[in-house]
Amino acid sequence: MKRVLVVDDAAFMRMAIKEMLNKNGFEVVGEAENGYTAVRRFKELKPDVVTIDITMPEMTGIEALKLIKEFDPGAVAVMVSAMGQESMVREAIAAGAKSFIVKPFKEEHMIQILNKVLL
Amino acid sequence: MSNTVENVMEMEEDTQKGRFLTFSLDRESFGIEIKYVTEIIGIQTITEIPELPEYVKGIINLRGKIIPVMDVRLRFKKQSREYNDRTCVIVVDINDISIGLIVDSVSEVLAIPEQDIVEPPKMNKGLSNRYIKMIAKVGNDVKLLLDCEKLLTGDELEDLGKVL
Amino acid sequence: MKYSNEPMLDMFIFETTQLIEQLETAILSSEKSNCYTQAAINEIFRIMHTIKGCSAMMLLDDISSLAHAIEDLFYFLREEKPQNVDCCTLSDLVLEGVDFVKVEMEKIKNGDAADGKAYSLIDNIKAFLAVLKHSNTSGAPADTKEHNSEKWHKNCVSREAAPPSAAINFFKAVIFFEEGCEMENIRAFEVVHNLKGIADEVYHIPENITDNSKSSEIIQREGFKLYITTHYPYEQLYELLMRTVLLKKLELTEAESRDDIPALSQAAHEMCARVSEDGSPGKGGNGQREADYAEAQHVSIHNSIISVNVNKLDRLMDRIGEMVIAEAMVVQNPDLKGMQMDNFQKAAWQLNKIVGEIQDMVMSIRMVPLADTFNKMHRIVRDMCRKLDKEVELEITGEETEVDKNIIEHISDPLMHLIRNSIDHGIEPPEERKAAGKPHSGRIALEARNAGSDVLIIVKDDGRGLNRERILTKARENDLLLKPEDDMSDREIFSLIFLAGFSTKDGVSEYSGRGVGLDVVTKNIEKVGGSVQVDSVMGRGTSITMKIPLTLAIIDGMNIQVGSARYTIPIISIMQSFRPAENDIITDPDGNEMVMLRGCCYPVLRLHEHFNVRTEITEFTKGIFIMVESEHKVLCIFADELLGQQQVVIKALPAYIRSSGKTRGLAGCTLLGDGSISLIVDIAGLAGLSEPG
Repeated sequence: MKRVLVVDDAAFMRMAIKEMLNKNGFEVVGEAENGYTAVRRFKELKPDVVTIDITMPEMTGIEALKLIKEFDPGAVAVMVSAMGQESMVREAIAAGAKSFIVKPFKEEHMIQILNKVLL
Repeated sequence: MSNTVENVMEMEEDTQKGRFLTFSLDRESFGIEIKYVTEIIGIQTITEIPELPEYVKGIINLRGKIIPVMDVRLRFKKQSREYNDRTCVIVVDINDISIGLIVDSVSEVLAIPEQDIVEPPKMNKGLSNRYIKMIAKVGNDVKLLLDCEKLLTGDELEDLGKVL
Repeated sequence: MKYSNEPMLDMFIFETTQLIEQLETAILSSEKSNCYTQAAINEIFRIMHTIKGCSAMMLLDDISSLAHAIEDLFYFLREEKPQNVDCCTLSDLVLEGVDFVKVEMEKIKNGDAADGKAYSLIDNIKAFLAVLKHSNTSGAPADTKEHNSEKWHKNCVSREAAPPSAAINFFKAVIFFEEGCEMENIRAFEVVHNLKGIADEVYHIPENITDNSKSSEIIQREGFKLYITTHYPYEQLYELLMRTVLLKKLELTEAESRDDIPALSQAAHEMCARVSEDGSPGKGGNGQREADYAEAQHVSIHNSIISVNVNKLDRLMDRIGEMVIAEAMVVQNPDLKGMQMDNFQKAAWQLNKIVGEIQDMVMSIRMVPLADTFNKMHRIVRDMCRKLDKEVELEITGEETEVDKNIIEHISDPLMHLIRNSIDHGIEPPEERKAAGKPHSGRIALEARNAGSDVLIIVKDDGRGLNRERILTKARENDLLLKPEDDMSDREIFSLIFLAGFSTKDGVSEYSGRGVGLDVVTKNIEKVGGSVQVDSVMGRGTSITMKIPLTLAIIDGMNIQVGSARYTIPIISIMQSFRPAENDIITDPDGNEMVMLRGCCYPVLRLHEHFNVRTEITEFTKGIFIMVESEHKVLCIFADELLGQQQVVIKALPAYIRSSGKTRGLAGCTLLGDGSISLIVDIAGLAGLSEPG
């Protein structure tokens, strides 16, 4: 079972993503509500894939992504963005994010993306 | 996944369908749809509550849960009778309200095929059979199938509540 | 709704409500200082962003678009730092948004459809932003350059190493993405980015995929077209492209030569530009960032707070209550009577101690500070002052005082009512204040503090105070006086304003009027076992004190016996118990029984009569009197005997019983050590019954 770290400052979003993943045979091994915690949890848990919200307090998703990639260049990250954040998504991809998804997203899209990036 | 859950639920519904718990009061035999019944217990110590209709005997402690109990004899305006060791409380759950029904004794669970169930005849006496939803023939016997929801609502207790 | 799933819905409501409260606080404090700081703007932006995302997931489009509009507005404020922003209008707009979301959340909470329409509000916000943009663009041209999407854009992707073979293959690919995948242009960017390792040159239509959202439409319609030169074979390229996420369709065809593909031949003349590695990790700033990170480690400590559904706490409390009972059933088991068992006693004592500690702990989990409830009042004060053209400072103290969660819910409405009433009727308009030699702006002090097992919440204003005579006149008119006027203390007279059907103001104002009197305050507070008291000095102000219990779930009770039934009386209302001498008992000609104690005469209530219980003990000298007080009314309850004092867990009577509306005099029930049920006597209810008339 693939192990996922879910990063989002909104507990509701974490819950929503977690439910989608659990239903589809992923194991959510951890959650983080800001960039700092995300990096720390990533180092502790070494998940197969991490989903990262872009807009977060303390440390943004992109900064977190960069630190995660520094720690493990092979880290697989999927950004969770909102409409209107094109440039930030682009920056994230350039910084090594495997892919992204745009809120509000459908369960099947989320699953499809995770399955693809984990190929 | 949610589909399977639904399927299970449906199956459960199916296995409950057409099944009735029967009990007796005087010489009549009554049936309650099994889906309402949560458990059957012996008669308990009842704590009386003042000013309630006579048929609401009070409340009992069901493993920490406080539920009201109703004497079905009195509900049907029958002569009351001393409780004995055959007296049973059928705990039912009707629209999320738990209530205990005190009956003379519980008989059995019966599966009654649909074709054996008929509407009760219209009575001239008005409301006399308003708690009876259907009548079932089982062999030579007749079982009066209760309308559980009517037992709780559309009765004096509610009417009083509205007035107050 | 997308998630009818309860925990998810709960979480959504909980989080959104919290965010909205945060937002409101941020706006109100910004408004007060008449400027939005960068920090406030950032915070509001982020809150709106989160609400936008979450409500979109819940398919609450109106909330989501509204949040989006406000987010855009604050994005502009954040990025452009415009001057001369009309703070007042800005606050109004956002607060209107706050209110909209609040109303919708209420609907969702109640299981109704969130059907509010936000478009006019969104239009207003957009218009405000447009005006702001217009007055703040100092001729800087907006990005209006039209990109010719049919022009080929080339990305020359150079690799570290030289191509392993000289043979170069040419491919044409068309990619269609899944419908509704959003940001197709960035998906395309992702594809190009992924080709980096394998392709030498990449050309694509539309050309500009980085910051032209129009390209998204083209990609949706016509697909993303690529021309690729690579030394890798078809299979490998195909495999790579097939890994594109949210891929709906891929057409990959091989061309014989560069000339087959017009774009490539055209591009042959152009220079190869490297794809800029924008956003690659800057190695330089690492040390600093690690330091920040280390510093943040302790910041995240206070994130180890979890939120728990109150229902779960209620259930836990219930279980603990049963544990207390079970413990009593074991320790006081009749089978143990007369046995010599020192070790058992020791163990029982230990158990008792632990159970007590757990009970205290669970109670403390349920305690919530009043701060949130208090802070809500800022908004009330602001809105009221605006509409009534008054000036009022709200001063809050003791907001850290904690009260049981279930009680807090009952405080908010009465408090709001009192504050509104204070501003509407208490605080004078500025001119009148000036004439009276008072400071220009009025002052309302909202205070909370602990007092034993109660919490006092005091609303105090420096307004005109209550007019004793006018209250009496009004009460006379409405036939509300139960006592001769001369016998009434000021406090009793002032308390008349809390009676139903009392309203001194003839013109019902929009706020404190509403056709509802202050009686809702007493009703709500009494519901949680509290009381309200008024003090006032003409011309100086009014002070209203609400006394509420810390918790509802557990009370100290005195168990009493009447016939075979047992009742529990809250210790807090018991003044004393006594056995009267025969000649202290008086019966008036109407048959009302009274008892004399230390020169005072008190009404008697025979519990066995009231609750219609058969008992042997009907003679006053054989039983016991329990003197109880509620709302300054004293009453002597006659019962068979006292059984003893005990902490009891209050359980509600079953809904079926309560719906009869005939449980006046009963506050609930509780389980005793032997598993039997004791009914909890509602003293306020009984005292009300004993009222003359």
